[in-house]
Amino acid sequence: MSNSVISVISRFLEEYTTSTPNKLKVVDAYLLYILLTGAFQFLYCLLVGTFPFNSFLSGFISCVGSFILAVCLRIQINPQNKGEFLTVSPERAFADFLFAHTVLHLVVVNFIG
Amino acid sequence: FLLLVVLVLALGAHALTPSHHLTPSDLVRLQDVLSQPYTDLKAAYLSIVGQSKLGLSVEACDFIKSNLDPSSVESLFYAAEASQTIASCCMMNTNFKQTPNKKNKHEDSTMSQIHQAVSALSFLGLPLASQEVVSALKARISKEDNVLAITLALQTASHLSQQAELGEILEEIEDLAARLDDLGGVYLQFEEGLEVTALFVSAAYALSDHVGVEPPLKEDQVIQLLNSVFSKKSWDSLSEAFSVASAAAALADNRFHKPVIVSAVGPATVSHSQPLLQLQVMDVLCQSLSSANVLVETATSAATKATILSQTPFTQRDGIFQLNFMASQPASGYYQFSVAISGDSRLVGNHIELKVKVSTKVSINNMDLSVVDKDQSIGTKTTRVEYPNKAKSSFIADSHQNFAMSFQLVDESTGVELTPHQTFVRLHNQKTGQEVVFVAEPDSKNLYKFELDTAERKAEFDSISGTYALYLMVGDATLENPVLWNMADIVLKFPDEEAPSAIQSKNLYVPKPEIQHLFREPERRPPTVLSNTFTAMVLSPFLLLLLLWFKLGANVSNFSLSPSSVLFHVGHAAMLGLMYVYWTQLNMFQTLKYLAIIGSLTFLAGNRMLAQKAVKRYCASLYVQLALQ
Repeated sequence: MSNSVISVISRFLEEYTTSTPNKLKVVDAYLLYILLTGAFQFLYCLLVGTFPFNSFLSGFISCVGSFILAVCLRIQINPQNKGEFLTVSPERAFADFLFAHTVLHLVVVNFIG
Repeated sequence: FLLLVVLVLALGAHALTPSHHLTPSDLVRLQDVLSQPYTDLKAAYLSIVGQSKLGLSVEACDFIKSNLDPSSVESLFYAAEASQTIASCCMMNTNFKQTPNKKNKHEDSTMSQIHQAVSALSFLGLPLASQEVVSALKARISKEDNVLAITLALQTASHLSQQAELGEILEEIEDLAARLDDLGGVYLQFEEGLEVTALFVSAAYALSDHVGVEPPLKEDQVIQLLNSVFSKKSWDSLSEAFSVASAAAALADNRFHKPVIVSAVGPATVSHSQPLLQLQVMDVLCQSLSSANVLVETATSAATKATILSQTPFTQRDGIFQLNFMASQPASGYYQFSVAISGDSRLVGNHIELKVKVSTKVSINNMDLSVVDKDQSIGTKTTRVEYPNKAKSSFIADSHQNFAMSFQLVDESTGVELTPHQTFVRLHNQKTGQEVVFVAEPDSKNLYKFELDTAERKAEFDSISGTYALYLMVGDATLENPVLWNMADIVLKFPDEEAPSAIQSKNLYVPKPEIQHLFREPERRPPTVLSNTFTAMVLSPFLLLLLLWFKLGANVSNFSLSPSSVLFHVGHAAMLGLMYVYWTQLNMFQTLKYLAIIGSLTFLAGNRMLAQKAVKRYCASLYVQLALQ
């Protein structure tokens, strides 16, 4: 059982490193960073407590929001999905990404207290 | 239901009675104010004429004559009216005629000047040009629209000949009455004050009597005016006292309205020793109306709502109307009387509601005291005690026994059972001064019973055994003889007696212990080391990101230095910086303002830059396509 899991994972990693374009790998690295940041914040909250709760929430929501926006960007600039996003060029996707981030940061900084 | 409401309102409105009136002592005070010594003619006028309105005659002819100034209309007016009230005083100087007449014709004469001139001529018995005066008054009313001026016009018109056209002046009464302020449905007065209201009353009735037309005032309005005028019982100035006296005289004796004042002699209470209900029926000047008929329309019991009397007349004796209410054998309690006064068609406020109390004496019958054993094994021993004696031997009750008492309270004269408001049993410990009070309750047959369970009640006694004096207290508003009767002594024995502590009176008024305010403690924070560790941990993935990007070979070399892209990056950095400043200093509105500025710049630059990138990419893809062909 575990054997097949390991083989699936190794196959996945191999395919990933060979067939994904560089641009997407950059975005994936960014996604990993956001994920880790969010995880560490959550860990702190679990260990030490929720005071001050609003700061924790704002930090965590910031991570979650950024993750989602980055995923959207990744979907939109993936050349394999070009058929579904005919009206949205990669530059347009990036501009949307930046605008959405501005709004997210405004809210996060307001709530962080 | 609506009809009932309307009916109640109508009855209520009909039953408006004077709430303020001049009592004989008030009248004496009024006379005193008016009879103060005077130094000038105006004060003399107010004093002399005021007292004449109250029915007193004053000798002051010489003073008037010596202070008279024949060239002044005002002086003539004061002298003329004042001397008119003094029987023997006579002003026979015909050369007075010129001045007042001249004043009448002068167009700039004020209302008060016209009034004084006309009154002077009238009181001196000299002829008047009435019609000219009427037109002068009308002209003046339109110019001087205030209440006092119109009141003076009314007063002036009352001196004019009846052949003159006084109709329009008469209508002014109604207009003025509309300007009165209704205060709570009880008072009706002008906002200018009491004096003006009182002068209006006397002027309105003077003119109405002169012309023979009833003034357009409803009964309730008359009562309300009366309340206003007589609400003040001490008067600041001579003119105020004069105005009140004039109004009182006008209300006491005019052809149309006669307010009646009804008051009980002493408290409205009857009993066997005092069976007569006595009422005084007077006019406003406290003169008894001996020709009136006083009738009790209904007398109902407040408790049972049964009608005791109906259409029963009062008999008159020496100016006081009396009725023997005890003859109808009423039970003790309160009764609501509805009294009507008739005999004169002018009477106003002649339906009175009166609350009469019938009181009686109570006697205590069949007072039985006994000590009952709880398990009823030993027979009870009952002692009968007669009021006001005390039982010869004292009773002993310990925790196995109850002490019981039963008695009856009856009306002394009729023998009817009574249930007074206060029937208490009081036990008083002579040694410690402690007293405990219980309530004795009647059962369904109006027999009062009281039982003291020694074991159950030991808390109230603080378990202090000893000799207690037993008292019965009976009291009620309708009882003439409240009772405090020491019936017996009881020796109470409580189990588990603690050392008797001295009874401390509960002092409620000492300062209580001070409350220290607990300020809200700040939340416990984790140690700084821990926080710093986690901060570092949270920021560490950024380093990982940089590392990964470097490893992936992020395209840093493709960084074009075109102005739009530089501007874009600067703008973007500025926005992130603004976020930091927002966190530390600004509020949302300021941030939005700055964000709008920086954002629009960044947007334009970014748009440019991305467009350039898009063009480059498109061109590159075209090249690739061409190369592949």
